[in-house]
Amino acid sequence: MSRERDKSQSWDWESRQCRAQLDEIFFRQHDYIQTGSAEHREFWTFFERFQRFTAKRDMSGSKSSRQESHEKKANKKSGSVDLGLPKDYDARYRINVSVCSKDVEERLGRSDHKKRRETSGPGRQEITDCRIALLHFLDFNQKQSFSKLAKLRKEQKSLPIFQYRDKIVELVRTHPVVVVAGDTGCGKSTQVPQYLMTSGFNYIACTQPRRIACISLAKRVSFESLNQFGSKVGYQIRFETSRTTATKLLFLTEGLLLRQIQQDASLGQYQVLIVDEVHERHLHCDFLLGVLRSLLPLRPDLRLVLMSATINIKLFSNYFNGAPVLQVPGRLFPIQVFYQPIPPEEQGSRSEKLDPRPYLRVLQGIDQRYLPEERGDLLLFLSGVAEISTIQDACQTYATHTQRWIVLPLHSTLSLAQQDKVFDIAPPGVRKCIISTNIAETSVTIDGVRFVVDSGKVKEMSFDPKAKMQRLQEFWISRASSEQRKGRAGRTGPGICYRLYSESDYDAFAPYPVPEIHRVALDSLVLQMKSMGVGDPRSFVFIDPPPASSIQTAVTYLREQGALDEHGELTPIGRLLAQLPVDVVIGKMLVLGSVFKLVEPVLTVAAALSVQSPFLRSAQHNPDCSTARQPLQSNQGDPFTLLNTFNAWVQVKKDRGSGSRKWCRRRGLEEQRLYEMVNLRRQFKELLRTHSLLEDDSGSRTGPQDRAQRRERRTERQKLHKLKRDHDFQENTKRKVLRLEEGLEGDGSSGSDEERTASNKRKKDEQTVDIQEVKFKLRHNVNELQEAANASADLSSRQQSLLKLVLCRGLYPQLATPDEHNATRKDSEQVFHTRNKQGVVIHPTSVFASDPEVLQVSEQESSADKGQSNRHQLLAFVTLLETNKPYVSNCVRVPALQALLLVANSVDTNADCTRVVVDGWLELGLTDGDMALKVLSSAITLRGEWERLLQAQLGQGGPGSRGGLVGPKPSRRDLDKLCEGLVRFLLYTEVSYSLRRLTGLQSQNLYIGPQQNTDLSSSSALGFLFPGMKTEPDPIKGGLRVSHFFTYNCLCDSMDLYSECLRTFWSCPHCDLYMPLTPLERMQHEATCRPEEEQQPEEDSESAQTSASSSSGLTRVYHCDLCNKDLTLTSTEILKHKRQHLS
Amino acid sequence: MDLNEGSALGVFRCKLCELSSPYTFYGQKPPNTRAIVLLEECYGMKDPFSPDREKFLVLGSKCSLCSKTVCVGPDCSLFYTKRFCLPCVRDNIHQFPEQIQAELVKKKTIQKTSS
Repeated sequence: MSRERDKSQSWDWESRQCRAQLDEIFFRQHDYIQTGSAEHREFWTFFERFQRFTAKRDMSGSKSSRQESHEKKANKKSGSVDLGLPKDYDARYRINVSVCSKDVEERLGRSDHKKRRETSGPGRQEITDCRIALLHFLDFNQKQSFSKLAKLRKEQKSLPIFQYRDKIVELVRTHPVVVVAGDTGCGKSTQVPQYLMTSGFNYIACTQPRRIACISLAKRVSFESLNQFGSKVGYQIRFETSRTTATKLLFLTEGLLLRQIQQDASLGQYQVLIVDEVHERHLHCDFLLGVLRSLLPLRPDLRLVLMSATINIKLFSNYFNGAPVLQVPGRLFPIQVFYQPIPPEEQGSRSEKLDPRPYLRVLQGIDQRYLPEERGDLLLFLSGVAEISTIQDACQTYATHTQRWIVLPLHSTLSLAQQDKVFDIAPPGVRKCIISTNIAETSVTIDGVRFVVDSGKVKEMSFDPKAKMQRLQEFWISRASSEQRKGRAGRTGPGICYRLYSESDYDAFAPYPVPEIHRVALDSLVLQMKSMGVGDPRSFVFIDPPPASSIQTAVTYLREQGALDEHGELTPIGRLLAQLPVDVVIGKMLVLGSVFKLVEPVLTVAAALSVQSPFLRSAQHNPDCSTARQPLQSNQGDPFTLLNTFNAWVQVKKDRGSGSRKWCRRRGLEEQRLYEMVNLRRQFKELLRTHSLLEDDSGSRTGPQDRAQRRERRTERQKLHKLKRDHDFQENTKRKVLRLEEGLEGDGSSGSDEERTASNKRKKDEQTVDIQEVKFKLRHNVNELQEAANASADLSSRQQSLLKLVLCRGLYPQLATPDEHNATRKDSEQVFHTRNKQGVVIHPTSVFASDPEVLQVSEQESSADKGQSNRHQLLAFVTLLETNKPYVSNCVRVPALQALLLVANSVDTNADCTRVVVDGWLELGLTDGDMALKVLSSAITLRGEWERLLQAQLGQGGPGSRGGLVGPKPSRRDLDKLCEGLVRFLLYTEVSYSLRRLTGLQSQNLYIGPQQNTDLSSSSALGFLFPGMKTEPDPIKGGLRVSHFFTYNCLCDSMDLYSECLRTFWSCPHCDLYMPLTPLERMQHEATCRPEEEQQPEEDSESAQTSASSSSGLTRVYHCDLCNKDLTLTSTEILKHKRQHLS
Repeated sequence: MDLNEGSALGVFRCKLCELSSPYTFYGQKPPNTRAIVLLEECYGMKDPFSPDREKFLVLGSKCSLCSKTVCVGPDCSLFYTKRFCLPCVRDNIHQFPEQIQAELVKKKTIQKTSS
């Protein structure tokens, strides 16, 4: 080949034109490899290498090949069959591919004649060279792909579970339920679904407790099942799915499968269900097992596979009628365990900081015993974030000194970028020291760990039903957790585990962790059970039933929240709340917000309160971040700060696209949370729309101009889709090597580092595609979002107060009142009280922690008259969590009197309504009796109307709903009027009152109790004044029950027993009524007497439609003794009628 | 969506190493490849590691001597104008050029040291 090359000296392989000429022969538009493709570029790179290689070989190897041909001739005699192999070896004979196109053959044929004439074009030799190179290139690619395949198959075969492959398939074929138990590394999660898929099962669903696992497993399994670029294997999580009609194996979260059962109780879409990690005993998983257990008899064709670690397997097998268990050994390297209990002098008391000495000793010990060249990282398990930061500081000092460690914290409140660092690689001679919560026990798996230090402690969330409070407490771990932690040291090689407790401690540990269902509030679970119609939650057969009291607490709570009626059935609002994947309080906000024109801000707030806070804790002490955050903060409350932040972010997104990343960094915001918010917000919006709580606005955007816009958007989407595909393709991006200073920078407590690490990262970030931005653009229309953001930015004070009311009613009964002595306390020592928990404090992340004055009644105002003021405020809060102190977080402030009268479940008064007790714990003292009456009666009127419109908006009144107000949707005008009324009530109620908590003794002796000798005639005489409400003596509190929340004159205040009967002259501002009335009569008149201007004729036609309900609701049969007639009249009419006789 | 995956004709299984995978074509002409021709009757599929739906991957073929189905992995077979499974190559080792003989010897020693 090379001999001929010098003939065509004009040919230059390096030249672009020369290559282009060959491209036209070999890499045309329809050829296997096309000009311009990535492979085409690879070919030319390969070509250069190949040329160098052949040139070298030709020089050195020409002799030996000649010798060889001699030998062969000699050998041939002994061979039995002539294989007819060519005598001279040529690498070409090793390739089983050929390229023959007409063009190539023609060129080769004719080039002899034309070569001299067309000296510039490729000659026969060039074409041959190129063809040979191409063949080698094709062969090379084949070999590469095949070796990938072979490696993959080899890895699959080497997994411990591989030997059980046939057994598993056989068991699943013959049994409805099979339990596969295997320890870490046995390969069950990736292999079992594949075994079933390849043996002919279709429509397999595999649940995972964590979203991230769904994605990574789908990715891995689709690769292993050679379907990396197809959609046979997919995942589905809350906001994302890769599922298509071709999907045969789907990884999804437990919660999502439950939601699917809610839609389709028989789960007809699946043939096999695999429930993975059942031993983790998450709330959803336990419930899912219960649901599936009752589904099995209805679906005899359904196959259920439970996969678990080798923990408590019998429990699962027994629960499913003795289902067969297949136990698979794990693949762990041996791990040496050292018990090193902490000596008493280093244990410290509960209040003190953790003593770092035992931990430092382990680091020192490793440095002394093992050469730095012997790789292996350290994973340290501590109970919580505060503990981590203490030990991190100490270890960092040691690391700075020895230069042999990089200290990295790991917990869920870190930014994702910081969490991600634990997967990066330490430079040679340096080890990573990862200090983690139990997140690294199951959720996060880090390879390369050789040493584990186990503190034996964990902080677990529990629910205190008495204080209605979540509690984060430190406990000893279980033996199962202890083993799991130890196992983290033996994933990639033999390891060592240091347990900082004694062996006898270990023996005393509980065998398993407490399942979630025994620890948490069951509100959402019970609600979901109700909506799925699985029967009475108290008799549902759980694998490990929760205490009956837990369920009862949840039922009571849901009843208080209006989600269940008195019979324990779902109310219309409850049915809707069950559809929403959020806390009941957040769901209530959404529903309430949709009734008013507050959908956009409420959607944002509800979404923001359902995800982790985007404000990074570590940035809080960074002065730059604080300054940058300042404009976002609202002293109305944290939900408003979140609302501002979201709106500002959307604006940045619109203006600068992926520049939002920088914007977030500057403010110490985790952008991922904002992406989650925008996704959740959209889901909420769709849910409200499907329940017709939101008008469909999609139809409004049409027109010729929009068509162009749509086309533009379509091409943009195509581009984005490509970007996303490309991103997905470059999976397993290579891990960075950490720098020794990394640990120092990551130190969360020293504030300003955040920006520094950020600036290091920035360069890298800007080069890569921001995949979040791409997904965001694919999913959302930024213009629409921005309109929505505009709608909720710059709220007028009226809208703001209405929004606060909506939030407050949603969050009710989660209210806290400031302690009366707060004004004299330091900012950091402000104390609050909830109904069930005294002495709570505001979480330092809340805006009120730094600005508590806005909650206080100013000195001058309050001192005037024993705490009398019209500016008392309460806090409505989202969470009450006790860690070292009970903290309330995500708070909003609301005007006390107005909010309480509008949302509280129980409002009790004395006879002249100057003393009002709310929910049995807050007392409002009003001095002006007239004003008190006025305020109370407007509250009652407003609430009645609000309730009516809410029920109407929710559509059909369910069996349990009051009044049967089935009717048309509330008119815009009614809603506007209600808004107006509420706003006026909230903003312009000028009444001074005192606000105080009742003492325990006071609240015990609050009520007069049922009166034996109640003047029945007087109560029935009063009765007619309460239209549509049953007015009857309250059997427990005494007094009169006027509405479901209001009881009149039941307070035992002894000061004035007769005021109930005292009539004073009063003139109604709306009608001409002027007569002596008791306070109650007056209130009742006000409840029904409407200003004349409101009684317009149009309304009559509307009310005519609902005449059935209105007549029953508003009028009653009245027997007038004077006329001796039965009259059907409204109560106002009755009063007027009575007045006739008087005059 | 998944048209590119084609439907499997069956499962290819190497008689020597038991490597198995579904195959979507058999013959000398991988689908949609224009000028490409295989020099033996092959079992093949769409290259699962390439996003390009036209790319194919040859899994294996039949040994030209014993007709055993073998994969193209270097531990099971080799191609030298025709497909030979390694046992057949060993039986007729002397008819093969020295390069191949040397390769085989090397392979043996590697296998011995590794096992």
